[in-house]
Amino acid sequence: MNSLLRIVKNAPNIKNIQARGVSLTTQLNLKEIREVQEGKTLTIYGETVPSPREPYLIKNENPHVCPLCALGMEVKHTDVLILSQFLRSDGCMLPKRITGLCNKQQKKISSLVTMAQKAGLMPNLNPANSKKDPSKRFQWKKYNKYFDESTIDQKKNHKKLIEFS
Amino acid sequence: MSALKRVQQWATFARIWHVYDAKWQNPFQSSLLLKKYLMGMHKPIYHPMNDCGDHVIVINSKEIALPGDEWKKRVYFHHTGYPGGATWTLAWELHSKDPTMVIKKAVYNSMDGNLQRRYTMQRLHIFPDENVPEELMKNVSNQIRGIKPVPKRLDHYSEQEVKEFPKIIDYPKDYVLR
Repeated sequence: MNSLLRIVKNAPNIKNIQARGVSLTTQLNLKEIREVQEGKTLTIYGETVPSPREPYLIKNENPHVCPLCALGMEVKHTDVLILSQFLRSDGCMLPKRITGLCNKQQKKISSLVTMAQKAGLMPNLNPANSKKDPSKRFQWKKYNKYFDESTIDQKKNHKKLIEFS
Repeated sequence: MSALKRVQQWATFARIWHVYDAKWQNPFQSSLLLKKYLMGMHKPIYHPMNDCGDHVIVINSKEIALPGDEWKKRVYFHHTGYPGGATWTLAWELHSKDPTMVIKKAVYNSMDGNLQRRYTMQRLHIFPDENVPEELMKNVSNQIRGIKPVPKRLDHYSEQEVKEFPKIIDYPKDYVLR
């Protein structure tokens, strides 16, 4: 069924319908959802913005591997400036199709993000209803803690890596 | 005895005061470091019978860090001696009652149980924050370096620093910012 759908999706005639410009705005663009309240009317619109990361992006020298593998860095859970690049504003991990990382790195980064969040190092990237201050957390969670990166189990990915290699 | 030798003699047997910032430090690793200063093991004249230990002031003991889930796994046992007098206190419970207790017990347990231990502990001064009495602080002439680097929170970086930090990935073209 899925394969059938894919065939239908990729069929050239459907693509042509989209290219004819049925939608009023360009769909494929980096957008920011904005809400403006004027009296009783609430206007929600998507505004096209240039990517804020464009000028600071590191060029991937080896396009055959994922951007993080190409750098060959050892990322720790305290490197919040790196980890926050893979997060939404509510602290949710971006999916693999958006980060463009390989299986192994995606899993590793998501465990590091969990560690950093438990240690309270990224309190501003959290859901809106959360208490931003880590010292106001429940019971033992309010005290400082740190983690050992070597405890991340990568054996689960190991099997997949063998299959692919 | 020359003036130089005399001053050297004083300096050798004087008790030095050290300060140690326990912010984001593991108390159990720190205790192995602090006990050397408290017992005078860092001095060439050290001998167990030689009373040459220094004073150590530990500040910010409220902000010590434990690895993983050790705050709720580590248990402190106490028995009053009466039947049913046993209590088990978790590390976070002890820390919420007295923020100096975890590091005090760590240093106490890191030393051998001999007659000197109680007197060595008297040279350890622990404070939950940075408020140290002036008459103690004026003695301090050395700072002990922390074991672990203190991590910096993301909201303590300026917006400019976060924005201009080198980026590993860019958003795809059809991404909607959230």
